[in-house]
This record gives sequence, structure tokens and C-alpha cells, in this order.
Amino acid sequence: MTTATFAPAKTEVHPAIIAIGRWVAAIFGALVIFGVLMWTKGANPIDAYSSMFESLTRDTALSGIVVKATPLILAALAVAVPARAGLVNVGGEGQLIIGGVAAAWVARLSDGAWPGTMTLVLMAVAAACGGAIWAGIAGLLRVKVGINEAVTTLLLNYVALNVMFFLIYDPWKDVKGGGQPTSAALPVAERLPLLSLGKATVHAGILLAVVATGVIWWVLRSTRWGFKLQVVGGNAEAARRSGFKVAVLLASAMAVGGALAGLGGFTQLAGAEFKLRPGFLASYGYIAFLASWLARHKPIQVAVAALVLAAISISGDSLQLDSQLPAATVNVLMALVLLAVFGWTAKKEGVR
Amino acid sequence: MSSLVTEVMAGAISGGTCIMYAAIGESFSESAGVVNLGTEGSMLVGALAGYAVTAEAGNPWVGLIGAAVGGGMMAAIHAWFVLTRKSNQLATGLVVVFLGLGLTSLYGAAYVSRTVNSFTVWNIPGLSKIPFIGEVFFQHDPLTYLSYLLVPAAWWVLYRSRWGMLIRGAGERSEVLETYGHPALRVQFIAVILGGMLAGIGGAQLSTAYANSWFENMTQGRGFIACAVVIFAARQPLKVAAGAYLFGAALALSPALQARNVDIPVLNNQFALASIPYLAIIVVLVALGRKRAAQVPEGLKAVFG
Repeated sequence: MTTATFAPAKTEVHPAIIAIGRWVAAIFGALVIFGVLMWTKGANPIDAYSSMFESLTRDTALSGIVVKATPLILAALAVAVPARAGLVNVGGEGQLIIGGVAAAWVARLSDGAWPGTMTLVLMAVAAACGGAIWAGIAGLLRVKVGINEAVTTLLLNYVALNVMFFLIYDPWKDVKGGGQPTSAALPVAERLPLLSLGKATVHAGILLAVVATGVIWWVLRSTRWGFKLQVVGGNAEAARRSGFKVAVLLASAMAVGGALAGLGGFTQLAGAEFKLRPGFLASYGYIAFLASWLARHKPIQVAVAALVLAAISISGDSLQLDSQLPAATVNVLMALVLLAVFGWTAKKEGVR
Repeated sequence: MSSLVTEVMAGAISGGTCIMYAAIGESFSESAGVVNLGTEGSMLVGALAGYAVTAEAGNPWVGLIGAAVGGGMMAAIHAWFVLTRKSNQLATGLVVVFLGLGLTSLYGAAYVSRTVNSFTVWNIPGLSKIPFIGEVFFQHDPLTYLSYLLVPAAWWVLYRSRWGMLIRGAGERSEVLETYGHPALRVQFIAVILGGMLAGIGGAQLSTAYANSWFENMTQGRGFIACAVVIFAARQPLKVAAGAYLFGAALALSPALQARNVDIPVLNNQFALASIPYLAIIVVLVALGRKRAAQVPEGLKAVFG
């Protein structure tokens, strides 16, 4: 009798509440492990967490997060689109850099002589093309030769980095840069306009990221191409038998992804940094990869995840200032959060 | 010119050895049906653990044990998520890399400019005196000599021993293994963790024998290259070794040419030279691509699509 009264009460818990509960438990677990790790390095975890949280409530924090999130959102979408077709694009790092390089190349061609808006548009187009080509190489190798795209995109990241190094250490080096290996700063007319967001000021790149998120959401949901990608991702063999051009779909998914990441490189160059430097967008590609997997490649959720990881990353700066831990420490927290989500929230749905 | 060839070939061995350890390890993992991109993370953690333990204990052989443990632990994380929780192999591997990057920058900062009692070059008496061959093969650190023994040993274990049969069986048809009463999951766990331990040893070779230093992200994608090598070598230890040495040669080309002030376009630029190893691996993959795709174990076909 007692068991009979208890059993229905147990099943009444809404599945959504269980899911949220698992998420909270997963993230709490990650925070506890990270706290222990910080403690082993002599930092007080409670102080560290409170200063991380406090740093997010400062007036400057919002613009920092939004500016950091802009290329992250675009690069995360660059992971999400190919993932729909079952592809793993780990080349965000390289595609962002090539986007920045292509945009800087247009600015060099203009040399300040073209109208600013026209130059900005051309920079964006060049960046998207650059990113698309860079990712497209991996896509083509996948469909033509059968090489796994995760491996090629990873290897091409290092090549992209060396391409940028080559340019900024030699032919594109700013002669007025005081010996620093950077490209020349963009003239003011070729920078993205600023917007105010309450108390915060951010560059217009965030609009591009938001629009891109909406467009990708619509494309994946409502177009033929988006539907076909989903089918290929679900079962490539079935798609082939239904007469889909699987090779074209896979290669185009990679190229579209690359174009998005390329745009991310453009927004960072034209909105935030104005010149290429050795650490340009370093590790953004990997954080974006985590964001897309965190949100299971659903565009709007991916953008939110990118925003959250941007916030974690910005709050991580306080670890360096207040707790004297290395800046990259916060990467541990991000990895732990993702592992927790992989491990505790999705066994039945099957994390893909 | 002959000295350039000797130098590049000797450099191929010393620069390729760390990748060879990692790639042999990854061969075990992939034979068991698990791709571990986290090999990069295992190498990185192994490089720091090897260096840090050597610094504290004063003996690089003790450091080597630390490196194997560290690399094995990273692989154990990968194995648990991939095998027990069935998470995506490629994505989980990348997260393990990211974890390794963060952990090593957290714990590695203290060792950045420290010098340690690292492995030293030991010329094998007699053999090292042989012209050319001696210079190329027998004037290295002890870990390089051990890796010469590792290649045939790994081949024997994988292709001639009962253990290897179980590992390959787990990768091809785990249900068959289960039918005969062998726990496939346990075999896979052991193969992945063994792979991570070897990657960790490879990392230690990099930090305590090759570079004699530790710095953040010092592996620079060598673990990813190891994974690529395993693909085109189809998990066969001898071919894996050849692939690793190819990368080593591409790596050795840069300082060898720079020292000679070679003024050939492209080859006179350090960044173009630095790209060569990554491009070389892609070119080899392209050249061998189609043939290799068919040789992936059954258990990996879902991962590689």
C-alpha cells in the first residue's frame, strides 16, 4: 500500500524539472571541482568566485561580454551548421584568423582612399569568402578523398596562424608600430560604428552576430537546404538513396560554416582590435566549439551559450587580477562545465 | 650537402620520437574503436607532469612515471565519457584537450623558467661511431632508444598476442567479444588508457629530452598530428613510426636551412617552414586517403562518417 502511494508521486515530477535539475547539478559539480583546483594553487575558492561574480556586475562588464561574444557567436554557428550534417568543424580558430586576414587585406588595398562604408562591406565579403575557402578545403578533402574533417580543420588552424604571422612579421608589418609585429591600424572611417546598450558601448558587430543567428535558425528550420542537411546528418546512406547530392551538401555546410567564422574575424578586426597581432582571436575558435556542443547545435541556444562562455571568460580575468592565477585557468572551468553537461545531462537523448 | 641530409634525418628521429610515442598509443586506442583527439591533452599533461616531477624529484626517470600517470588520467577521462556515457568521440577529445590546456597553464606557470636535470644525449658505444647511421640513429637520448624497442613490441602486442586480438576484436565487433565472455568495455578502457600513458611519455620526451624546457601549450598540435599519422598508417606501428619521423624531418628542415642561410623563396621564411609539417601530413593523407578509408575498424566507421 505504501509503495502504491509513493510510486505515482515519483512519476509526477515534470521531465523538464528533472532536466533542469541535472543541468544545475552538473554545473554545480563543475564549480566544486574547479574550486578544489584553485584551492590547490593557494587561492580561496569562495573569494575567487565572489570576485568573478562581482566583476560581472561592474558597468564595464556588459560591453566586455558583448564584444567578446560577437566573434564567439559567429564562430559557434560555424560549428553548428556543419554539425547539422554530422560534420565536426574544429577549424574555427583558423577560419576566424583567415577572416581577419582577408578583411585586413581589403583595408590595405583601399589604403584609406575608398569610402568607409563601401570598404567595410567589401571587408566583410572578403572575410566571409576567406573563411569559406579555408573551411571549404577541409570540406572538399572530406567528400573527395575521404579524410576526416576534424583532423584537417585542426591541422589547418596551425597553417592559418603561420599565414598571419608571416604577414604581420614581414610584408604587412606596421612601420610605425614601434617594432611590434602588427598590421597597420584601420583608419577611423573603416571601423564598425559604435552602439550604446544601456550604460555599455559596443560595436555594431553584435548586430551582425544576432542577425546571423536569426538567419541560420530560419535557414536550418525552413529551407530545403537546412532540411537536407538534417537528413544527411541523421543518415547519410538514406540521404544518398533519396537522391540527395550528399557531397555537395557536406561541402556547402563546411563552406557556410567557414563564412560565418570568417565574418567573426571581420567583426573583431573592424570592431574591436583594428589591427592583426600575434594573439588575434587566440582560443576563440575552441571556446566557440564548446559553445556549439554545449547547446547541441541549435542556433539560438548556441548564441546564448556563446554569450555565457564569453561571460565566464570575462569573469576569469578577475582570477588573474585578484587571485593571481594564470589567465588560461578559466579554460579549465569551461571544459569542466562541458564535460559535466556531456556526462550528466544527456545519456538518453544521445549526445552527438 | 651530405651534412644537411644527416642533420635533417637525425632531427627527424629526435623531433619525431614524441609524436611516435603518442601515435603508437593512439594506435592502441583506435584499434579498440576509440578515436582520442585528447591525445594532444595527454601529451601536454605528460609534458608538464614529466617536467614538474623531474624538477621535484631530480630524476627524469621518476618524471617519466609522472608523465605516464598524467597522460593516462586524461585518457581515462576521455574513456569514461566516450565509453560509459556514449558522448561524441571527437568533441569529447577536444574538450579533454581544452582541459589539458587549462590545467597545464594553472599548474605549469611555476615551472616555466626552471631548469631541470633532464635526459641527456647518450652516444651508444660502438654503434654511434658508424658513419652516417651512427649520427642519425645512435646519438640520442635514452627515450629515443626505448622508442626503437617500442615499435616492434607494439606490433607484436597488437598483431600477435592474445591481448592485441582482444583489443582489435573490441574495435571491430565488440558484440562478438561479449559473446565469448570477454568484457569488451574493459578491454577498450585499458587500450585507451594505455594510449594516454604512451602519449604522456611522448610529452615527457618533448619536455625533458628534446626541448629541455616547459612552456604553455608546448605541444603545438603534435598530439593532433599523431592522430593524423595513425589514420594514414592504418594503426600499423612500423608505418606509424615512419609517419612520425616524416613530421620530425619537416620540423628539422627549418633550423637546418636557416643555419645555412639558404635563400630560396618560401624556404627562407620561418613561418612558411613552420607550416610545412602540418601541410605535409595533409598531403600524405590526401595521397593515401581513399585506400585508407576502407581500413578503419568497424567500430570507428560511425565516428569517421
